[in-house]
Amino acid sequence: MNNVSTLHPIERSILRVLANNDAISIEILAKMTNLEVDQVRRGVEWLKFKKLISINESSNSRVFLSLEGSTTRISGLPERRLVNAVREGKNTIREILAWGAIRNEETNAAIAGAKRNQWIQFEEGKMIATALAENKSQEEVFLDKLDSNGIDITKLNDEEKKVFEQLKRRPNYLEVRVHNEYRISLTKVGEKLLPIHEKEGSQERRLTSELITSGRWKEVQFSALDIEAPAPTVYPGRRHPLVDIVEEVKEIFVGLGFSEIEGPILQSAFWNFDALFTPQDHPAREMQDTFYISGQRQAIPATVDQKRKVAQVHKKWSSNRWDAKEAERVVLRTHTTPVTLLHLASVKPDNGRFFSVGRVFRNEKMSYKHLAEFHQVEGVATMPRASLRDLMGLQIEFYAKMGIKKIKFWPTFFPYTEPSLQSMVYNEKLEKWVELFGMGIFRPEVTEPLGIKNPVLAWGGGLERIAMIRFGLDDIRELYGNRLTWLRSVPKCQL
Amino acid sequence: MAKERAKMPVVNMTVDRLKKIVPRVKLDKALDILPFVALDIEGVENNVIRIEYNPNRPDFSSDYGIARALRGLLGIEIGLPKFRIAGKSGLEVKVDPAVKKIRPHIVALTARNRKLDDKTITQLIAMQEDLHNGIGRRRKKASIGIHNLDAMRFPISYTTAGGDYSFVPLGESREQSIYTILKESDIGKQYNHILSGLDRYPIIADNDRTVVSFPPIINGCATKIDGTCRNLFVEVTATDKKAAEDILAIIAITLYDAGFEIRTVTIDSDKKFETPHVKPSMISADIGYINSVLGLTLKPKQAVKCLKKSRLDARASGRKIICTIPRYRTDISHAIDIAEEVAIGYGIFNLQPTFPSAPTAGQKNLLSISFDAIRAALTGLGMLETLSFSLTSKEVQYGAFGISNKDMLSVDGSKSIEHEILRDSLVPSLLQSLSRNVHEEYPQRLFEIGKTFRKADMIAESWNIGGAVAHAEAGYTEIRSTIQALLKSCWGKDVSTSATTNAMFMEGRRAEIVVDGRKVGLIGEITPLALESFKLRVPVAAFEIDLSGIIKDK
Repeated sequence: MNNVSTLHPIERSILRVLANNDAISIEILAKMTNLEVDQVRRGVEWLKFKKLISINESSNSRVFLSLEGSTTRISGLPERRLVNAVREGKNTIREILAWGAIRNEETNAAIAGAKRNQWIQFEEGKMIATALAENKSQEEVFLDKLDSNGIDITKLNDEEKKVFEQLKRRPNYLEVRVHNEYRISLTKVGEKLLPIHEKEGSQERRLTSELITSGRWKEVQFSALDIEAPAPTVYPGRRHPLVDIVEEVKEIFVGLGFSEIEGPILQSAFWNFDALFTPQDHPAREMQDTFYISGQRQAIPATVDQKRKVAQVHKKWSSNRWDAKEAERVVLRTHTTPVTLLHLASVKPDNGRFFSVGRVFRNEKMSYKHLAEFHQVEGVATMPRASLRDLMGLQIEFYAKMGIKKIKFWPTFFPYTEPSLQSMVYNEKLEKWVELFGMGIFRPEVTEPLGIKNPVLAWGGGLERIAMIRFGLDDIRELYGNRLTWLRSVPKCQL
Repeated sequence: MAKERAKMPVVNMTVDRLKKIVPRVKLDKALDILPFVALDIEGVENNVIRIEYNPNRPDFSSDYGIARALRGLLGIEIGLPKFRIAGKSGLEVKVDPAVKKIRPHIVALTARNRKLDDKTITQLIAMQEDLHNGIGRRRKKASIGIHNLDAMRFPISYTTAGGDYSFVPLGESREQSIYTILKESDIGKQYNHILSGLDRYPIIADNDRTVVSFPPIINGCATKIDGTCRNLFVEVTATDKKAAEDILAIIAITLYDAGFEIRTVTIDSDKKFETPHVKPSMISADIGYINSVLGLTLKPKQAVKCLKKSRLDARASGRKIICTIPRYRTDISHAIDIAEEVAIGYGIFNLQPTFPSAPTAGQKNLLSISFDAIRAALTGLGMLETLSFSLTSKEVQYGAFGISNKDMLSVDGSKSIEHEILRDSLVPSLLQSLSRNVHEEYPQRLFEIGKTFRKADMIAESWNIGGAVAHAEAGYTEIRSTIQALLKSCWGKDVSTSATTNAMFMEGRRAEIVVDGRKVGLIGEITPLALESFKLRVPVAAFEIDLSGIIKDK
């Protein structure tokens, strides 16, 4: 039978609070009892088992801001950015797009939104902002209202419901999650046990410095603690999980005799493309694919001899056309290969192995499988008579160290290597072959103008894909989302 | 060396067609072997195989090209593919010198005596599209017109016309002026940039002055091809002669494979010449060189056999391999390319990897090693590492702080407003990360090591370390303790701080970090204005240091 004296102090605390408070949540119980949530949870379980309390379980759907929604809240909805641009004197869509306030695909949503809110009017084909543009739209008010606890969807009023539905139709802003709630009440049996009086004891709760130094510890008795109750959660400082993989890759390279090189992200088009035998009219060089820095050109950071020889190679293959101006443009490197090439061109090793891991950029719209900015791993080995089979051997060894055993090679194409291969590795988790690194031997058109004598074996590829497999992610953006739940919880040890 | 997968061209081939190409080979085996001629299977659906090919092999733009390579590797047919020009057609294209400044080159051929069925038309149109986008550089460099030969009266002329010149374009029933086509039709709007700024436009018209084509935009309606055609006229106009010839050579072999009889057309320009040019070229490679590149010990005879399986012709003369390259193989120009063809003919799956021993021990660079120490110190202080993008938005970087900056480095044509400028500080990124985690437990202590970019006399980039602490009690003192500990732990340096004016931080609670008399960074409490912008509800204190101020002579 239950009686107060057999109850654990946690149970007693909970019952005391419940005597005056009916149907309260675990979180509130924790606050009122001054206990940790986990301790309360445990106590509630015990009490339920003893039939002293009852738990009423309910679930509701709550709406939260999504990752992208939280960014949008800072940068503004498309219609807000549009109307801001209009107020800056940009009156046509063409101007607004050129100004960069909205993206092409946001145009319709922006105009529709701005019209719906009566923020803009059209006069002779030009947009002007109305006085209403000062006001926040219902959608903005709604987004502002969303906090970390989210909002219970059933508690939205009709007006809010409409706004919620509207926003839900616009992709990516909101996230609806089901939230379970438990409310605790005393049962009839529990009520009968009340009131509870804490037995006052002469026991000490803490071993204080005073007790130790005075020797008084010999005279007092210490209360027993609830040694089974969990302690508050603490979070250690940690490296980013992607950095773990970077470090792992670096260790493997070092183990295989490779030395690390590092270099600038901003490159001249000359080293990013021209020196790598990528024709000036190659599609990869267009703005749709490559980020160029607006209005920036730089004198080509190469010797007169290097420039002349690279230009010669291009002229030979492109009907005598090669424009130094094009090579002077400043790009966000699309691969780390220019760094490698610059190193080889300046050191000219007869026998050497180098690697780099660094960020590269592609003008892509971000999605669950694409990023505009990611890490590339690259290794090169140069030596007399370096062969395609050597390159394959280096790959096998590299992958083996990453725990990848099933590998096959297919021929492929890169503008600056010949022969070129791509490696396919078997992913045990996905049960299929996936493409990993590309590789090849630098073409003579690349090495000869720079005075590199021996064949150069090169391979590389994106690192994020390996990270996704390792961490079981299906959305690549998670790696840069900095969600603390993820950063704090990814297991660090592989064994 | 990452590929832009989304941009690879694709050929559709039915399973039946594949079975015909490689009879007596099981479908699984045939699909398995495709990648070894550098073709990727993107998917198989409803009996159609979607095959990706690399842009250096425009001859793969139809399934005839794929058939040639596949049959070679499987040994069904080896050596140069059969191809023959039946002779001159006797037909002529007169080139008006006026085209020289606009789109100077034209080449053409005729293909006769085969009924054009729907399947072949589909193939031809897909091939034309791929060639337009690839070698043709979205029609800018070269474009193709395929016409019904029987509807044309020769000689035809390649000339120019003014913008109000009218004709009936393909797919229309009424005459339209060139201006109308360029300004109003979908195809015109898509490609009119190629002809912008011109007052005369390229036109191909026949002897009756019927418009055959308005390159590179659209064909005339009169010479439209359909399932009843037996005889074709193909022209390629271009700004680059080699591109035009490359394309025509690929079309010639494809139409020949499709069963047409190919004849040349006379181009009457500065001088008269016949097109297509289909003379194969010769490249020789030393067997020692080939073996060295591949890591093999092939005899000349074996290499010749491999090349034949790659659908080239070759003979050995001593240690020299003399290779015949058909005109449509536009990707082969150097002995190294011959080595690759040998590898493909040999079978990449037959190459045994070898592991070359390392000449020296490897090592990380000193910067990397410093980063390790920095990470160890900051994580030891309880900070969590974050990673965010170098490209960010003006709003996050400046607007949120009420700062306007005219010296920012922006990128052209970003597909996303979130990635329009290069960050010059890590602090906004850290605040953005905090902003995404307002529902997570506090305290939150974050750091990032990343590149920042600045426009000074020249563009400069530097490695920075930034850190931010956010919780109810967060403030200047805590973050100063942190930076003191970091600099002491990593470089044995003492820190001093002096007042500054940076608008990210609150007045009276912001300072420059000074080490050895040099300003190396900033520290302070973030302004409430910025906290509001980032929807943060607890105070945040942050620091940022520029490593180049501390690590000298990296």
